[in-house]
Amino acid sequence: MNTEGDVDSDMECSDNECFGDDSDYYNTDDIDIEQVDPSKNDPEYFEFECLTEEQVERLLNESVELLSNNLQILPSLAKVLLHYHNWNVSEIIGKYRENASQLLINSRVKPSSAPASNNCSRYLTCPVCVLTHSSDKFLSLNCGHLFCKGCWTIHFEVQINQGISTGISCMARECEVLVPEDFVLKLVLQPNIKEKYLQYIFQDYVKSHPQLRFCPGPNCQVVIKSQDTKAKRATCSKCKSIFCFKCGIDYHAPTDCHTIQKWLTKCADDSETANYISAHTKDCPKCHICIEKNGGCNHMQCYNCKYDFCWMCLGDWKAHGSEYYECSRYKENPNIAHESVHAQAREALKKYLHYYERWENHLKSLKLEKETFDKLKTRINQKVMSGRGTWIDWQYLFTAASLLAKCRYTLQYTYPYAYYMDTGPRKELFEYQQAQLEAEIENLSWKIERAETTDRGDLENQMDIAEKRRTTLLKDFLDV
Amino acid sequence: MANIAAQRIKREFKEVIKSEEVAKCAIKLELVNDSFTELKGEIAGPPDTPYEGGNFVLEIKVPETYPFNPPKVRFVTKIWHPNISSVTGAICLDILKDQWAAAMTLRTVLLSLQALLSAAEPDDPQDAVVAKQYKENLEMFESTARHWTNIYAGGPDLNKDFNDKIRKLVEMGVEEHQARVALSSYNWDLERATEQLFS
Repeated sequence: MNTEGDVDSDMECSDNECFGDDSDYYNTDDIDIEQVDPSKNDPEYFEFECLTEEQVERLLNESVELLSNNLQILPSLAKVLLHYHNWNVSEIIGKYRENASQLLINSRVKPSSAPASNNCSRYLTCPVCVLTHSSDKFLSLNCGHLFCKGCWTIHFEVQINQGISTGISCMARECEVLVPEDFVLKLVLQPNIKEKYLQYIFQDYVKSHPQLRFCPGPNCQVVIKSQDTKAKRATCSKCKSIFCFKCGIDYHAPTDCHTIQKWLTKCADDSETANYISAHTKDCPKCHICIEKNGGCNHMQCYNCKYDFCWMCLGDWKAHGSEYYECSRYKENPNIAHESVHAQAREALKKYLHYYERWENHLKSLKLEKETFDKLKTRINQKVMSGRGTWIDWQYLFTAASLLAKCRYTLQYTYPYAYYMDTGPRKELFEYQQAQLEAEIENLSWKIERAETTDRGDLENQMDIAEKRRTTLLKDFLDV
Repeated sequence: MANIAAQRIKREFKEVIKSEEVAKCAIKLELVNDSFTELKGEIAGPPDTPYEGGNFVLEIKVPETYPFNPPKVRFVTKIWHPNISSVTGAICLDILKDQWAAAMTLRTVLLSLQALLSAAEPDDPQDAVVAKQYKENLEMFESTARHWTNIYAGGPDLNKDFNDKIRKLVEMGVEEHQARVALSSYNWDLERATEQLFS
């Protein structure tokens, strides 16, 4: 698009008179396309960057420099202020102009009462080690509490070994003043402890910065940065972890951070029942042969009696083909208010299990994703060997499979959302859309598993429908 | 033991011995061994509290990293207090945890514990049963605490009613302290305490 635009503008320069109208026409067209705001079309649109540790250091140092230049204070004090105020430079400057001393007291840079006055004798007794040293061996923070250098060093080492860095404070009783970075680094000499301190302090800085998030992937050092601190999907460029930028756990749209947390706690608490429920096998509803589910699709066909049924509700699959996919909807017993406490408890468990089973089922399907991919590979190999299309001809199946995984992932997270929804027209609409998404996903899954030709029209159509259903649901219900 | 810790304890021990609180018999400190790693403390129940007249013995363990880390202190004498476990004697007090400062001493710890006896913090409880009673039925809490002070800390106030109830349970074969805990937990309701003990 850009190159074309450049060519157009070149032409405009050289042949202004002849092509004037034409190039104007193309230019307008160009601008129109560029103006489409991706955040409007894609409810999951999220702008973020993956930063290395060095890039984060640089970013933090920019704020430190800005603040220390602006207020004419030491960079290490600027860091204490920034950490305390979640790196909001303008807020700090504003408060500083308003009442500098109050800001410094609140941020634990200055003591709340007047600094301790020190006598100027040549020898002093350290209140911590109770030894007498010459006064040049003593140091204090802004609060004026003098301690010998040896004691400061041990104090820092003990605190750092307990994982404390930005929170290290003065050793005096009831003194809240925090120890700035340079003071610690000047006195801690053991390289391994110094290293630990720098690592902890870096972690504390990143955690207090609203625009930064550590990638939750195991042993991953990447920090994700975004201006937008919403519960959006972030993908780590290094370890490929997909997580919610706001709360740092697995991405969970359309459910919000608070609800998913509640749901996960509930699932963990009720794990006994859940374990019982999530047994891997079910009996065929017609011939009662034991069936183990080993693939992603919920449309099951019994290999024994060839009966088509739904894995979720064990009902006839034919009933699921229609537009109204009833199986994802939990039917509440309308008379529940009049039933006994016992019956209500049973009903509550039944409701929970309804949603939990579906949640668990999609989770399991997703876990089988790799196997599905391997199976696809084997199948494609066979086709290519028997001369039915080339390897490239069959690639579309992989694209379809990853789209299926994406749709199934969102579907999985619609169940906790529905569980916590109040009964009413909005829930009905949600469950209607959820049912539609579920139906399309199952269709897609079925079609991928049984793709026999290189004719991709039908499958691509199905992919498009499934993805549209997914985005429609998110557009209507993802509220971040 | 680290040099600084031993140095400090020796010094603090002297400080407490000479202090005016010792002269008034409000606090006491004794060495348990020669290595200064363990001490025995004692505080007098503050006046105008249910603990008045009692003497409370404390176990003080000095860690290797003292005074950069707080001493580990617990009540040896059984006590009925929202911030002290009636079972283990464990104490919930900020200066013994994250609010410790290296410049604090055993004397400040003993005085803070004494202050804790006069001013409980029921919203930050160590013993949930006691804290609940404190908040819901202060009078019941005070007479229970006074009774425990009498039995375990040598306090003066004898509670005949409470002692009778305990004796009834002891006659049924319940161990005395167990009977006292059950009765204290159920606001001295003999029936409910019995139910709990025999269920």
